[in-house]
Amino acid sequence: MFERFTKDARAVVAGAVEHAEEAGAGSVDAEHLLLALLDREGSRASFALAALGLAEREDAVRQALGEARRRAGLSQADTEALAGLGIDVSEIIARVEEAHGAGAMAGDRGGRGRWSGRRPFGKGAKETLEKALRIAVARRDRHIGDEHILLALTVRPGVSGEVLADHGVTHESVTRVLYGGGGAAKAG
Amino acid sequence: MTEATDLAERAGDRDPRVGLRAVAALRRLLEQLESVQVRSARNQGWSWQEIAAELGVSRQAVHKKYGRH
Repeated sequence: MFERFTKDARAVVAGAVEHAEEAGAGSVDAEHLLLALLDREGSRASFALAALGLAEREDAVRQALGEARRRAGLSQADTEALAGLGIDVSEIIARVEEAHGAGAMAGDRGGRGRWSGRRPFGKGAKETLEKALRIAVARRDRHIGDEHILLALTVRPGVSGEVLADHGVTHESVTRVLYGGGGAAKAG
Repeated sequence: MTEATDLAERAGDRDPRVGLRAVAALRRLLEQLESVQVRSARNQGWSWQEIAAELGVSRQAVHKKYGRH
């Protein structure tokens, strides 16, 4: 599948691996793909993000991703669903961190270099890339660009899509700035 | 927090979506908690056998899951 990736899309995949390594994460996750997308300049996705005003809010997005990771990778919607059961996630995180240190529930294994082996792509990242492929095919685009990765992130459930939506980046808004109004069918 | 309130109300209404989401989130939380506790026990010198006994699983299961790194 990677042979059809554009240079920018490949850079996002490589960047995601770097972000995962830097964080000491056990696997490359969808959030690392989003962090790598934020690093891009002059690409289709970075154009879309800039058009949606995200350039000035990148730090807020990074911070929101970091907070979600600290909460065991639970999204706001997950946290609220648990609150419905009477489970206070922030209370649990606070107690675990008190006993085991900050970031204990992030699932990371400490700083860079602690674990130098190759990181596998987690389920979320794999599904995002597969979705990017399907979106490109549905749009009859010949290549998979970083904009398709961005679109895939907006439609997958989970932290990345939720954080993007909180900042006005949805499948609809990205489609609008990339392809203009109307026309673009939502990829299944 | 109106959304949270909505969700809480829907949970009261037995909306399966919220209930299922809560279960999935709980499983995720549980996985992270287990990982934190297993690492902590290993750091304190516990054997895989001792950890497995507390978790109520086989030694092989816990070693396979956490023993690689």
